[in-house]
Order: sequence, then C-alpha cells, then structure tokens
Amino acid sequence: MPVEERQIRAPLLGFADAMEARAVADTASAPGPELHLLTFVLEREEFGVPVTQVREVIRVSDITRVPQAPAHVRGVANLRGRILAVVELRSRLGLPPADLTPRSRVVVVEVRGRVLGLLVDAVRQVTKVPEASVVPAPEEVISADVDYLRGVARWQSRLIILLDLEKALLPTE
Amino acid sequence: MSVGDENPFGELLQDYVLECLPLAEQVADTFVELERRWRAGDPADELLGSLPGRLHTVKGNSAMMGLTPAQETAHALEDACGLLRRSSERRTDPAAALLITGGGLLVDLVRQASPELDPGPAARYVERVRQWMQGEGPPAADTQSERRRTDRRGGGGADKTDSVVRVDFRRLDALLEVLGEGLIQHSALAEAYRRLARRSGACEELDRLDQTILALEKTLKRLESTLMETRLLPIASVFGRFPRMLRDTAEAEGKRVRLLQSGGETPLDKAVLDRLSEPLLHLVTNAIVHGMEPPDARSLAGKPEEGTIRLDAAPHAGRVVIRVADDGRGLDEKAIRKKAEALGQELRDDEVVPLRSLIFLPGLSTAEQVSRLAGRGVGLDVVAGAIHALGGTIDVETEPGKGTAFTLSLPVTLAIIRSLIVEIDHERFALPMAHVAETVRAEPDAIREINHRGVAQWRGDLIHVADGGAVLGTAAADRAPRRFYVVMAAGGKRQALLVDRLVGHQDIVVKGLDPALGRPDVVSGTTILGDGRVACILDSVRILEGGRRAG
Repeated sequence: MPVEERQIRAPLLGFADAMEARAVADTASAPGPELHLLTFVLEREEFGVPVTQVREVIRVSDITRVPQAPAHVRGVANLRGRILAVVELRSRLGLPPADLTPRSRVVVVEVRGRVLGLLVDAVRQVTKVPEASVVPAPEEVISADVDYLRGVARWQSRLIILLDLEKALLPTE
Repeated sequence: MSVGDENPFGELLQDYVLECLPLAEQVADTFVELERRWRAGDPADELLGSLPGRLHTVKGNSAMMGLTPAQETAHALEDACGLLRRSSERRTDPAAALLITGGGLLVDLVRQASPELDPGPAARYVERVRQWMQGEGPPAADTQSERRRTDRRGGGGADKTDSVVRVDFRRLDALLEVLGEGLIQHSALAEAYRRLARRSGACEELDRLDQTILALEKTLKRLESTLMETRLLPIASVFGRFPRMLRDTAEAEGKRVRLLQSGGETPLDKAVLDRLSEPLLHLVTNAIVHGMEPPDARSLAGKPEEGTIRLDAAPHAGRVVIRVADDGRGLDEKAIRKKAEALGQELRDDEVVPLRSLIFLPGLSTAEQVSRLAGRGVGLDVVAGAIHALGGTIDVETEPGKGTAFTLSLPVTLAIIRSLIVEIDHERFALPMAHVAETVRAEPDAIREINHRGVAQWRGDLIHVADGGAVLGTAAADRAPRRFYVVMAAGGKRQALLVDRLVGHQDIVVKGLDPALGRPDVVSGTTILGDGRVACILDSVRILEGGRRAG
C-alpha cells in the first residue's frame, strides 16, 4: 500500500476500531467474519461501501459542472491540485439530485485503479458488521439495471444497503 | 558503464533503448535512401560511410546487454556495409532490399530489447547475409579486424565526454506539475493582493508586496520557459519513422514514391510529438495509397513516374506549421460532395460549403477500393479529431491532377497555454488565446438575427454570434443579456461567443478529462484557477465547427 494511502486510511481504521470497541462493549460479542464499511446517507437511507475502497472523505464547496458530461456526473473538484471527477450518486441510484448542504461530503474512492468522488448527503460512520447479517436485497426491488446492490446488512436495528462500487461506477466496462 | 548482469531488465535496458533505437532507426532510414540513390545511379559513398559507426555502437551496446539477436544482426549489417563500401559493383537492388529487411529487423529487436526473444529470425537473417556475402567472396580479414574492435568497445564502455544528461520524461512531467502549482499559487497571491489593496488603500508594505509578486511572476516565467525548452524535441524524431514506412507502403501498393523533408529541426514538446505521429502517419499513408497514381498512369499524365511527397515543418507565429503535400491526382471534389450529400450534409450552394468542411466529416471516404493499409475505419475525421485534441487546426488544398496538401498548425506545447478566462452562466471557462481574435462589448443593437441565428458586424464582415450558454448547454431561461462576445478564429473559420464576463488572462496548466466525464464536444480539458476552483477549457476549434448547428 502506498504511504500516502496508508496515511489517509489509518485514521479511518482507527475510528473504525474505536467504533467497533463500543459495539463490542454494547453487544458483548460479534462472532464470525465481519465487513468493514463506511456508511453514508442518501435521501433517508443508509448505504455502505467497503472501507478498503475509500481513500478519504472531503468537504467540498466548489464543484465545477462540465458541459455535456453524463447526467450522473456532478462535475469536477480540486483535490490538492488533482482534478477529481465527482459522481452524483443520487442520480446514479435513481434519486433526484440535491443542493449542497453543510453536511454534504465527497467520498473519494478507488475502484479498479481509478479515483472518483461520490457526492453524498452526509457521512455517518465507519463500522463493522458481521457478514452473517447480510441478506440479499428483496427480489422485488432488484431489476436488471440495478445490479449494484450487493445486499442489505441488518445490524443493530439498522438497514445498511451495500453498494457494489465497480458495478455502480463503471457500468459499461 | 559497467554491466550489471544481476539486473539485466532494469533501467539499463531502458537506457539501451533510448540510445540505440534512434541509431537503429537512422540506419534503417539510410538503407531506404541508399536504395533510392543507387537506383538513380548515385553510388552514395558518404551515406554508406555513415553506417558502420552507428551499427557498431548498436552492436556493442547489444552485446553488453546480452541481446544476442540484435548484436548479431547489427554485426551482419556492419559486415555487409563493409563489403559494399569496398565493391561498388555489388550496390544492387537485391543488396538494398537485403539491407532494408535487416534494418527493419534491427529496429524491432532494439525496440523490444528483451533477452527472451526468439533468436530464429535474427539467425536466419544472419545466414542470408552470409550467403549473400559469399556470393562474391568477402575478404575475411576485414571482418576479423571489425570483430577485434567490437571486443575492445564491448569491454570499454561509454567514451562520450559531453555534458548531456538523460532524464526520464516522466520526471519532466513531474517538474511541470510542480511549476503548475507554483503558477496557481502565484495567481492566488496576486488575487489576494488586489483585494487587500482595494480594502486598505496604498501603503509602502503593499507596494513591496506588489513588487515581490511581480518578481515571483518573472521567476516562474523563466522557470517555465527553461522547463519548456528541456521538453522540446526536433520534429525529425517523428519524421524519421516515415522513410521506411513509405517505402514499404509504396512497394505494397505498386507505386514509386520519394519523400522530401524539410524543417526536421523544428522543435515541439514531446507530449505533442507523441500524439502527432499517428495522424501524420495516416496522412502520409493516405497520400501514397489514395493520392498517388500508379507509375503508368503518371507517365500518361505527363508526370514523372516517381511521385513526390513533401513533409515540411516550420515555426510560425509561436506555433508549428506542418505540411504534407503530394503531387498525385488530387481530391475528387465531385465524389466528395456526392458522398457528403449521401451522409445528409446540406449542400445548397457549392460556394458556401467549402471542401475542407466536408472532407473531415465522419464516414467520408471516397476511395473505391479499400486498401489494407489505409483501409476504411480510420478516416480523415479521426485525423482531424486528433489534431483538434492537440489544440491544432487542419486544412486542405487540392487541385485535380496536381496534388493535395494538408496544412496542420499546432501549438509548440500542450502543457501551459495562455488563456482568456470568461464567465458563462456563473461558471468560469478558459478559452485558449491562440484562437481568440478579439473581445467586444455587446452593445444592445449590435447583434441581429438572420434565420434565427445571431450575427454581428466584425471588421467589415458579418459573423455568426452564438450564445455561450446554448453552445455549452447551460443556458438559464431568465438571465440578463450577456455583455461581451469573444471573436474566435481558427482554420479559416470565425465565430463569436457571447459571454457574461471577461475575467482576465492567465497561463493555465492543462489537465486532462477523467474518462468518467464522457467525451464532451466543447471541452478539451480542465485546469485549476488562481482561486483554487476548477475550470473547463473550451475547445475553440470544435465550437467553431459545431457552431453551425449549435448556434
């Protein structure tokens, strides 16, 4: 893992461990393999992506729109001198686009070597959920073009929708 | 240089390719030229004499790297050239063909620079040369002495004593990134100074700050021009690939063509050169396959059987102009117009729609026979697209029976371009100054409508004025009238773009477009402005072309 990436990810992991310690204290035990997730909010739902695909979470004030870009691209932002393409995750998931708010964040992910930003309403937490808690999404809500839902984690009275970033972000490849 | 056997795949191999590939390519080109000269009855002694030294270096370096096939091929060629220097009666077509084959092989072997190559082709070639040489008894003694010299050289190493340092081009790119950040920080400083000055009025400290910022700008400019110079390569590094390719293509097509070049020393940024070679190659191939008539047709037309393709480059007004011209049959304008009409292009008046706007249409190919080499699929539209992507323009002139000439105008560098920053519907955009002719305040009555398109008077002509928001697809319904228009000109076309505000001039560092952004027609890249915001760079050339539709 490159140094830079490690530096960015380390605080995330530290946070996750702290959260996990609390979770363990709460429930006394969480046996079996676990998924390490970063969760965020879109509309009123909570979504989760693997922490291993997340490079950092940033606050952005300026996202420049790009004429003629695909509808699910919000625009481009300046990430420390690099140009970051920011995906409007809402429209990618069939939700209406929303204005930026003070809670809006861009989750910078790396998918198959490509770095992209995901615009989300808010970031909730880094957490671990037991793999056993994941159930497939109900067939009724799945259609052919919605293959980016990996499943739903039911954990501590929460429902976390697991996203397959490869399928959500690189749909045609 | 000591050879690290323990690390035969590392940087040493890279250095080897860097040094030997140009040599091998020169050798291969010289072989092609030899054939031409010999056919013309010129013994070309001095050309022959230039070969052994180069072959010798390639041989020695290949030996050091343990690349036996390349070493042996170079050696065989060296021997063959030695023999040819001594006996002019052996300077025949078959001999030239043998050399040309070997030159191509050597270039391939050097380019691949892998110790795991199949030794078969090289071994077979060496055997062919040996047999050819025995055809009239090569003096063995000379070969021996050649070999002794190789041994000495092989053990000795680099004897160059000049001050040239080889640098991986990626390092220059990294330097450029740093310079780019410096330029952005400078404009942020300048912006902050302006605000400060407005708020607090004149004072001595502010003056000093202003002086320092100006000095910083000068320093950065000097750094920029020095760095830009280090990135420049002579265009000959691209032109140099053509002689062999041209010969092979002409041979395959049954045509006789010679290539004349000038301006090979013209410098261009390596990043431009790298992306120029494909489109140029395509134009030259087109000229041979479609432009040139077969020899018999040429002599019937009263032209020399051997056709001529000229490749000229010259610096012009801060850009580089390249011309690819043939003396072939010329473009069939009628066929092109017919084909364009079939593609749905409106051709009400031949005078209005010039040939040059038709020939670069996608799908337009008038060649009746689809050749293997310049086959269908890649047309002039792709060439034009590649040139436009470089911020260049392409134009064509043709005369039936006399030939066709393509003229390319390219920026010397891609990395940093002077731009006009404008604002359209609250977003800022960069317009490359190379295509900005003038900025004009849009007076209320200055813009009229003809056929639902805006037109204005400019320098005595009527030009089309397109709305910036409409072109970009950002137009808001209830906006104030735009206050300025920018007259853009490129490749013989002119058009104005209405914008809300002129922000200023800035040297911008060009950054690419992420593939996630698709392929917007009107945007060629992105950049970071002084305030840290990202702005899109508008593709003036594409806008000028699309203006007829988008306006």
